[in-house]
Amino acid sequence: MSLSEHMALRGKRQAVMEIKLPKLGEGADSGVVVSLLVKEGDRVEKGQPVMELENEKAVASIPSPASGTVERVWVRVGDKVSVGQTLFTLADAQAAGSAAPTPRAAAAAPAPTPSASVPEPHAAAETYVVEAIAEQEAAEIEATVKPGLTPAASPSIRKIARELGIDLTKVRGSERGGRIVMADLRAYIQRLQRIAFAPKPEARAGLAPAAPVEPIDFAKWGPISRQPMSPLRQTISRRMWENWTAIPHVTQFDEADITGLNELRKRYAPEYEARGARLTLTVFVVRVVADLLKQHPVFASSLDETTQEIVLKHYYHIGLAVDTEHGLIVPVIRDADKKSLLELARDIVELAEKARTRKVTLEELRGGTFTVSNQGGIGGAHFTPIINRPEVAILGLGRGALKPVVRDGQIQPRLMLPLALSYDHRVIDGGAAARFIVDLVQALQNFDEQQVKL
Amino acid sequence: MEPIKTELVVVGAGPGGYTAAFYAADLGRQVLLVEQEPRLGGVCLNRGCIPSKALLHVAKLIEEARDSAERGVIFDPPRLGLAKLRAWKDSILQKLGAGLAFLAQKRGVRVLTGRGYFEDSQTLRVETPQGQQLVHYDKAIIAVGSKAAMPKAFDLGNPRIMTATEALEVEEVPADLLIVGGGYIGMELGTVYSTLGSRVVVVEALDRLLSGADPDLLRPIEQYARKHFKDVRTRTTVAQMATAGRQIKVTLDQDGRTVEELYDRVLVAVGRVPNDEDLGLENTRVERDERGFIVVNDRQQTADPHIYAIGDIVGGALLAHKAAREARVAVEVIHGEESAFRGITIPAVVFTSPELAWAGLTETEARAKGIPVEVARFPWTASGRAMTFDHTEGLTKLIIEPDSERILGVGIVGHGAAELISEGVLAVEMGATARDLAESIHPHPTLSETLMEAAEAFYGYATHTFARRKKD
Repeated sequence: MSLSEHMALRGKRQAVMEIKLPKLGEGADSGVVVSLLVKEGDRVEKGQPVMELENEKAVASIPSPASGTVERVWVRVGDKVSVGQTLFTLADAQAAGSAAPTPRAAAAAPAPTPSASVPEPHAAAETYVVEAIAEQEAAEIEATVKPGLTPAASPSIRKIARELGIDLTKVRGSERGGRIVMADLRAYIQRLQRIAFAPKPEARAGLAPAAPVEPIDFAKWGPISRQPMSPLRQTISRRMWENWTAIPHVTQFDEADITGLNELRKRYAPEYEARGARLTLTVFVVRVVADLLKQHPVFASSLDETTQEIVLKHYYHIGLAVDTEHGLIVPVIRDADKKSLLELARDIVELAEKARTRKVTLEELRGGTFTVSNQGGIGGAHFTPIINRPEVAILGLGRGALKPVVRDGQIQPRLMLPLALSYDHRVIDGGAAARFIVDLVQALQNFDEQQVKL
Repeated sequence: MEPIKTELVVVGAGPGGYTAAFYAADLGRQVLLVEQEPRLGGVCLNRGCIPSKALLHVAKLIEEARDSAERGVIFDPPRLGLAKLRAWKDSILQKLGAGLAFLAQKRGVRVLTGRGYFEDSQTLRVETPQGQQLVHYDKAIIAVGSKAAMPKAFDLGNPRIMTATEALEVEEVPADLLIVGGGYIGMELGTVYSTLGSRVVVVEALDRLLSGADPDLLRPIEQYARKHFKDVRTRTTVAQMATAGRQIKVTLDQDGRTVEELYDRVLVAVGRVPNDEDLGLENTRVERDERGFIVVNDRQQTADPHIYAIGDIVGGALLAHKAAREARVAVEVIHGEESAFRGITIPAVVFTSPELAWAGLTETEARAKGIPVEVARFPWTASGRAMTFDHTEGLTKLIIEPDSERILGVGIVGHGAAELISEGVLAVEMGATARDLAESIHPHPTLSETLMEAAEAFYGYATHTFARRKKD
């Protein structure tokens, strides 16, 4: 249902109009107000963002469905609001046109608010994917079965539903008047199936490390303070636990001698800088990994547990774990194998910046083939990254450090990069992982200068 | 006699019973159909739907001939040959009954004539003309129907006090006929007798005729009754009846006033009661409600796991087409299919003059249940076809859910409404919207166009009426 249909009064010109929270997307029917972009008395234009809402998937800005003057703001920062809840009252509201604006995911002005800027612990070792709000459904036909009425469906559809034990009041009809047809039934069954194969929510809640069964009075041992977990933090918590428990992880360690690579980097960095790009180690690693995935296709796969098939991806989109003040975000660099080093360098700068300012779009967060998590900028050596499901492997980079290394019978100082490759042992064998990391080390040590030249 | 063993026994061969028996046989079941009367078909065929429609056809003919003078065709007043009329009517019943027997035989449905009595949950004793026959069955479907109610106070043993059964025999055309009950039976037979020449008075205890029908649909029927019946009195009850020579002295309580009148015959049409007695139900686990109707769930299952029940005996709308649909549900459940009588539209049809029919939600019901609806009407005065029939007293209306524009109910009063309503049933069952109906071409000139035009009226653009635009 569109926002304009939530108007308190019907008709084209309205004196007063209540703005309610529209349906945000599948599974997203509530969220926490992270910022209010207007206040009482403000003049708003149709389509102008009026607030930002954070749910477990992303931050969405909610645009006003009409122009008018904000007469009353019904919600406060930190409030949890649900679909259909009144957010604002607009006076002199004018909803020109009938098409209602849809909320855009994570595309609002960066407006960190006191409640949302609770410092998050840095968690660079883990990775997770922010799935932004699912595509806006074709929301104009929200088939609501009113009390006293049966769902609109033909006798033959009702018969099939009865045979399958499906309650038609739960099925969304796509036909005129919300009528349910076979295609709707099929879509509903598929959705049920997806839910059935997903990890059980009770199991999550019951076993998640974030939710200890017995409350502990920590204050017994000293002063404490408590902070609410933001929806984002809750998602991280849940996803990490799910990925960690669902996948038998093995982490393969190695070190690559990047002395030569680092020299190349230093030599060409100014040229890249001049073209608005930062030539970082990550750029090289992304390049090398994208190429390596072609030689080791199983690292670019996913496990389809329902069909018991391994899905091999013939595209090489590399996810990049970005540490932000809100938590980790993993934007995806498309077709990394097809891009020049310069293009990669530019993409990485741009995406990392977008992630930090929470401007990254839904599309930019989806469809990764493999993830790279570089902690080198902060420090540390080897760590055990958690795989970003449904991917099957992740590469963690520590901080490169000068180490005494034996070269040609002599001890030499070399710049050594700690590598940690976590892989899904259901799909990838130890031998395959060892071969991958050996090839990776080789590729980093023998990086072709031609590729760096502009 | 050797006991019969059968998979399924169906008790009662009305539209519910024979549908169940035939359908079960079509699904490969071994079926025994038990019927106390020699002719299959039950009340519907023998004492209900079919004979009444034959008589109503004759009434219509007389009416049309009478009204033809205004159209320039003048007939002599009709002369009635009641014996011939009865014979014609009976010949229809004979043909239909024989047809059912033939269909049963073709399907291998064994028919046992006799009254059934349950000995226990899996044994039926049938009193046949040849003697007692025990039937052991796995499943039974009870479809024994209902009969016209005759309150004890009226039951004087006087044949001039009739139920519909006797009235349909048309032994004579009484000069003065009192009809007690302004429901569909009273109104249909009132139409028949008034046309045949009786002075008909209809008394109804409630404040309206044909309760359940929307008032606007009722209006043409009330107008007809006021014109052609001697009188129609609502809020009137019969206090007492007594034999007075060759007449019946009736004491009426009319809105608190007591009136005494003499009638040549009285038709008692105050409702129907279930045929639940002397059936041996107490020997089974079957449960009945306080009125005697068998209690079933929406799968037509009684409290006894071996016994199902369908049709009038389970109450609700006492209609042949409801019984037939319940028969399908019962048989499908017995056959192991997921079936249920749930959310199924049961059209109501009254064969008065003009006919009245509705399906799905009525406006009255919507209001009572607080369901917000919009109503689109198309009056037949705007229908060319209705004019050519010389019957513009009609109305077609749609009950529409305002947001989805889904058609929740259809009501029609007018010539041929009984035939027209089926499109409404289809629309409601299919979850069609007013738009669907408006955009389906209806042939011109027909009365069915009124459905399309009513849908168009909802959007404010019906060609043959002018109404203020309702929807943007």
